[in-house]
Amino acid sequence: MFDPLFTWLESTAFSLWIVESPSLFAFPGILAAHTVGLGLLAGLNGALDLRLLGFARSIPPAAFVRFLPVMWFGLSLNVLTGIALLLAYPTKALTNPVFYLKLALIAAALVILRNLLRHTRAALPVSRTTKILAATSLMIWAAAITAGRLLAYTCTRLTVEVTCS
Amino acid sequence: MIPFQVQLEMALASFTQVAAFMQRSWAWPVVESVHFIGLTLLLGSIAAWDLRLLGVARQVPIAAFHRLIPFAVLGFGINAASGSLFLMTFPDQYIYNPAFHLKMLCVILAGANVMVFYFTVFRRLGSLGPGAQGPMLARLNGAVSLALWVTVIICGRMITFYRPNGCRPGEAAGFLAECIVR
Repeated sequence: MFDPLFTWLESTAFSLWIVESPSLFAFPGILAAHTVGLGLLAGLNGALDLRLLGFARSIPPAAFVRFLPVMWFGLSLNVLTGIALLLAYPTKALTNPVFYLKLALIAAALVILRNLLRHTRAALPVSRTTKILAATSLMIWAAAITAGRLLAYTCTRLTVEVTCS
Repeated sequence: MIPFQVQLEMALASFTQVAAFMQRSWAWPVVESVHFIGLTLLLGSIAAWDLRLLGVARQVPIAAFHRLIPFAVLGFGINAASGSLFLMTFPDQYIYNPAFHLKMLCVILAGANVMVFYFTVFRRLGSLGPGAQGPMLARLNGAVSLALWVTVIICGRMITFYRPNGCRPGEAAGFLAECIVR
């Protein structure tokens, strides 16, 4: 149904540049930046989760608000590089259920992060609910990372013309 | 005399049971996912620490953030272990790979940077109260650490594209089949 769209996307100069350019700044660089963004966003989110779960108690949770600009940087980097990777192989991503699972997991993790930050900013005592949310956040990020990694191994159609064997 | 790289390759290749395990269909992707989760744990906790050294969240004493270091060590341990499994499975893919060489160099430099920290600034940190600007050496240490770990991640991602049997982007058909989709 979306084949005409995929055909067009795969023929754009940007898509072809990412896929075909021998430059390290094309596909390899975008992939590397996507991993750095992941580490910054999910990593610092994980550190906040661990603090809320009771580790490193001497750090006031509100201190993690100071790392928000870095987490925003990680998120922005990954939205941009993610869109670039999607434009490189639109058929492959959009015909893969694991891709939608990954997006759903990231959305859930970000909703939880927003909630945790609200509690953290208000400097409320860490409630049982907050702890459960923090533990859920850790598990969802781990699942999102796993789903992302599995994108390299799951494929129904690589491009409009090429079906995965 | 057998060259060092060949010796290393032979030593790593002797773990045939590990290689057999890793070549089961699900093992490689699962261990890779573990490697990425370890990376996130390591970078997240070390970034929080490095940023504090650089002066972010300076109302909190540096010593408080030191409690995050065990998680960085845990992340490093997970990745040293999972990374070794990759090496024992396809030693030649790493031992003759310039991206892997640079990655290991940066890991060693990051380790040396940690040593510099503990032998110099660490003892003076206890006397630094909240709000204190860390000594110049502490800030430099944090910046170097952050730069090195980010480089480690980038080099790790580049390993695929510098494999000795070739996975150069732009070599369309082979690249897609061999490097994008296994």
